[in-house]
Amino acid sequence: MISQRGTLPVDCHQVGVRYGSTQALDQATLQVEPGQVYALLGRNGSGKTSLVRCLLGHQKPTAGRIELFGQEVWTSRQALMHRVGVVAEEPDAPPLMSTRQLVRFCGGLYPGWDPAGVDDRLRRFRVPLDLPFGRLSRGQKGQVSLALALGPRPALLVLDDPTLGLDAVARREVYDELLGELAERGTTVFITTHDLAGIEGLADRIGILHQGRLLVDASLEELKTRHRKVSWAPTQAVDPRDLAPYAPLWSRAGSLGGEAILTQGDPSQVSGLQVHALSLEELFVALVGAEAEVAS
Amino acid sequence: MSILAVTRREWTGRRNVLLLALGIGVIQFLGLYFEADPKVAHDKASFLGVFAGTALAWVIALLFGATMVSRDLEERRFGFFLNQPLHAAQIFLGKVLAGLGLALLAGLLASLPSVLLSGLWRQLALKDVGSVLGVGLAGCLVLLLLLHAVSIQVRSRSLWLLLDLMAWTNFFAGVRWLSLRLIDAGAFQDMFHLWLGLLAGVTLGLGAAGYLQVAEGRADLQRGHRWVSVTMALTLGLGLLAGWADVSWVLKHRPPEAKAQPGSSRIR
Repeated sequence: MISQRGTLPVDCHQVGVRYGSTQALDQATLQVEPGQVYALLGRNGSGKTSLVRCLLGHQKPTAGRIELFGQEVWTSRQALMHRVGVVAEEPDAPPLMSTRQLVRFCGGLYPGWDPAGVDDRLRRFRVPLDLPFGRLSRGQKGQVSLALALGPRPALLVLDDPTLGLDAVARREVYDELLGELAERGTTVFITTHDLAGIEGLADRIGILHQGRLLVDASLEELKTRHRKVSWAPTQAVDPRDLAPYAPLWSRAGSLGGEAILTQGDPSQVSGLQVHALSLEELFVALVGAEAEVAS
Repeated sequence: MSILAVTRREWTGRRNVLLLALGIGVIQFLGLYFEADPKVAHDKASFLGVFAGTALAWVIALLFGATMVSRDLEERRFGFFLNQPLHAAQIFLGKVLAGLGLALLAGLLASLPSVLLSGLWRQLALKDVGSVLGVGLAGCLVLLLLLHAVSIQVRSRSLWLLLDLMAWTNFFAGVRWLSLRLIDAGAFQDMFHLWLGLLAGVTLGLGAAGYLQVAEGRADLQRGHRWVSVTMALTLGLGLLAGWADVSWVLKHRPPEAKAQPGSSRIR
């Protein structure tokens, strides 16, 4: 689908962020189409948070331009926030306010606030409404943040590592809520996460940041088609050099056999090779690991 | 309405301050109520009532100013405001209003019992009450804005602090020099006007610096500090320039007999 540039929910062009002599983000360019779930992955310190801060107008990029729905986010932050829901990496609501007070505060700021939806979510999450936010558990804080972010029925949801520090059950609840929102309203989602397994079933498009540079910006489907994981048993006479035509991104061979991630061609023609489905985590580790190797 | 929403949010969790103020007021009241000499009690009550109220209001303004934005920034909680459809002016004004309201109410609660006991309220005209409240509130505003700027400067730990120190040092040195020139000329009332004008200008500058820190610095403490520093350096510089122009005008147009006598004593 070719969309008009001006109507893209997220449009980052050559974005750079510099802290003194450190280049935290270097010429990052990406777009998110309406209704898409874009997952931005990267190791700690890769520049994800800097990009999110710029995306939300918290910080001015030192280079480039960021637009949400065709409006420059730095200059139009207030107007844009009517259409954007945010879940921050560290739950940042005032710690002395109770959930009930937070709902009242946020509800008064948005004309399109959905009180029934928020109440319903909070009830489902079983969050105590009168306990101060600062005294809620990490998981409950995340759930309250998500309920508040979905309250104004946003057109774009920005989630900065929303499952960080959550147990498996709380993580599942976050993803279920997102799936429900996507099914019901088709909200565009921009999410940064370390939870690669969790996001795999949700993301349409993947961006991988490494040392401030956007290494990958492609659809998940495209990435999986382009990259193949193969393995071979020790009894098979496979020489890793035979894989050169398939442009291996990463390979390992030893007494227990070997495995590799290939980036082109159809390796099924090579005898003795088994082709496997590639998980996002394996792909991420291979891509970032290969890049770290090149850098070192 | 959004400003008031921010103000209400700032009050959440700080209502205990009002209880503390009421406690201070009641303790004073009881102490004075049991004073043996009614004349002494009356005098003490008048003094303590006004003093305790003003002092408490100013201390609260100081503490509120020192924490209202910079602590949120340091604890990475300021993003909560920026993620809402709130203009920077709404965030800043909402917080300033909350600080002023809290300081004023606490001051009133701390002073009211003693003022009622002393009967001071019967001796004061409405205009006097307005003047006392006005001076108290103006003091709160100056202290709140000043401490906001200082807390941003200190917490950001950037080299811009050198510019701040230089600007303030030059400002005070300049004000001292201008004041001495007016004292030499015996223009004491003009000196008072100069100080008042400079105080008003500095307060405006602090307000602008605070707003710009939120509007342009946002979640970036160092960037906010830069805006505060540049705004204050400009304000203080322009203030001195205006003060110098004012003093030059006063000295040029002063009547000849207003000159200070040679050998007159003054403290330098």
